[in-house]
Amino acid sequence: MLSVWALALTFFIVANPVGTSPTILALLKDCSFDRKRQIIFRETIIALLLALFFQYFGEFFLSLLKINDYALIITGGILLFMVALQMLFHKPELAKEKHTREEPFIVPIATPLISGPGLMTIIMINARTENNDLIVTFAILIAWCGVMSILMIAPYLQKILGMRGLAVLEQVMGMILGLMGMQMMINGGKLFAATLS
Amino acid sequence: MSFLNLVVILFLIMDPVGNISSFIDQLKEIAPSKRKLVIVREMLIALVTMVLFNYIGEYIFKILNVSETTVRITIGVILFLVAIKIMFPGIDSMRANLPKDKPFINPLAIPLIAGPSLLATIMLFAHLEPSQPHMLLAILAAWCAALVVLLSGNFLQKILGNNGLMACERLMAMVLALLAIQRFLEGIRQFVKSCM
Repeated sequence: MLSVWALALTFFIVANPVGTSPTILALLKDCSFDRKRQIIFRETIIALLLALFFQYFGEFFLSLLKINDYALIITGGILLFMVALQMLFHKPELAKEKHTREEPFIVPIATPLISGPGLMTIIMINARTENNDLIVTFAILIAWCGVMSILMIAPYLQKILGMRGLAVLEQVMGMILGLMGMQMMINGGKLFAATLS
Repeated sequence: MSFLNLVVILFLIMDPVGNISSFIDQLKEIAPSKRKLVIVREMLIALVTMVLFNYIGEYIFKILNVSETTVRITIGVILFLVAIKIMFPGIDSMRANLPKDKPFINPLAIPLIAGPSLLATIMLFAHLEPSQPHMLLAILAAWCAALVVLLSGNFLQKILGNNGLMACERLMAMVLALLAIQRFLEGIRQFVKSCM
């Protein structure tokens, strides 16, 4: 199967730290600079725990619910595609406005922004297809080093890129996410079509 | 499908964990001492509806001349849209627009607990499951579990906090989406097979 690095890269792209950092920055705009970094650190750790939980227990859950591989892959694809559409065509600060009152905890930064449904699904798929659990765990940890470092420098990133630069990046990440979602739907569709004949 | 599969799937579609915040919100109007009673009443109404659909499902199939394929695809589409509304909350979400007066049957019993997707799923499983007592027992087991979760709703809210509850809600919605696509694909497969 895929190497650790390829897996890590996939997780990194799906976790989409560059795309989510403008949203995270917007959510934390009322906090002080140090508090921002503390919150981002905490939320990233929670997201990591969620990802690892899904790697080890997702499988058990799916067999309990009688869900096939292809259903999992297609659902992941649809959800990723919808997240991409939201990123590309979102109305700024409409749905997210109500969270800014309190300091965010777990929702919405850890999940669904970092460990969203798409990421969980993709982790479960790889935990399924990959025989060696440790490879996936390592890939998750490597990806998280990247995610963590991007998110931790996000408060600085804002100063360099400016909001416009981040907005452009979000559009590009949205396009890539859309492609990945469609690819997953097609892969799942192929598997499903194979069971038809 | 084993007994455990049936119970877990029915329990998840009832989605008691995801519904806790809606329940708490709806029960604000009611005196705290009566709240548990109202929950039990609403749940009993939901149970009666579920059992009713467990038995009349077969007749509905016949009268409307719908096939198993149709039911599977319908469940898939409805359940998926429900899950999407929970995952990507907006102004038009069902849970954001609950009626303001005291709850009775609507919205707690139907559609929050015994929603269209649950009733259709029960019809489908009752159709597939050869032994009726088995199915009835599964409904009862899932219902009891849901009742326990809802009765301890305030307690769970204290432990998890509002954000924790919301996180659970989203995770449950993801599972619902998976179940929805699974049903949908089973329906498509049956449809294709029936064409060939």
